[in-house]
Amino acid sequence: MKTSTPDQVEIRIPRRAEFVRVARMAACALASQLEFTYDIIKDIELAVGEACANAVEHVSDDARDEIVVRFSIDSTQLAVEVFDRGQGFDPARAAEAGAASMENWDDPGGLGLVVIREVMDELAVDCDPTSGTCVRMVKRRSR
Amino acid sequence: MDEESDMTMPLKIDARTEGEETAVLSLAGEVDVANAEQVRDAALKLMSGGIKHLVVDLNAMEYMDSTALGMLVGLQKRMKESGGEVAIAGPKPQIRRLFEITGLTQVFRIYDDAAAALKEVRG
Repeated sequence: MKTSTPDQVEIRIPRRAEFVRVARMAACALASQLEFTYDIIKDIELAVGEACANAVEHVSDDARDEIVVRFSIDSTQLAVEVFDRGQGFDPARAAEAGAASMENWDDPGGLGLVVIREVMDELAVDCDPTSGTCVRMVKRRSR
Repeated sequence: MDEESDMTMPLKIDARTEGEETAVLSLAGEVDVANAEQVRDAALKLMSGGIKHLVVDLNAMEYMDSTALGMLVGLQKRMKESGGEVAIAGPKPQIRRLFEITGLTQVFRIYDDAAAALKEVRG
């Protein structure tokens, strides 16, 4: 298998709700260039949107705060990392988050993770109270 | 919306009443963390006018996320408490799948179109 350093595309958006769509559009554009199917492009858009929405919902007091979205592309996969400097959420939720119901609807962040896990091939959440939160997700490319 | 920017989301909200207690809220475009509140406000306005049964028509909806789903669940809670219901109509396959993977097909009745939903919610 050919191995090489992944190509990377990185965007930075203000950590505000109205900019989440910008990250989604970037994900769509990139996934389109990689010749994913339409359904998978929409899945990637959804996953990036959910990760950025999580970052927005756990907003800090720092109005200059930003979200960094880094796309890494190689011949086998598209990896997306969404970084923010907030405290984030309990990473255990990434493993425990379950389906929504009328009773447990107090945890939209958890539901976002359910969505990401379902539409992407890999999901990992790393939360550090000092450095921030990183949601990493992968979509494998068909060979 | 923050005063620093003038970013807009492509969302069109159309509300129409069908009798005294039923309404259809038609959404076209995209709903996410930036504008879910607009949809909630439109629905609450209908509820405050006496609407107990609300059909949310997603036929022209291109994108929604879990924030939008959460907003809909909140509306469903309120409607159920007042003896009514929020029903979903016409979602595209990608959006129907979102309801399925989050388990919300247990929370909402989903119909192929608004006419079918109206027929059911009116009883």
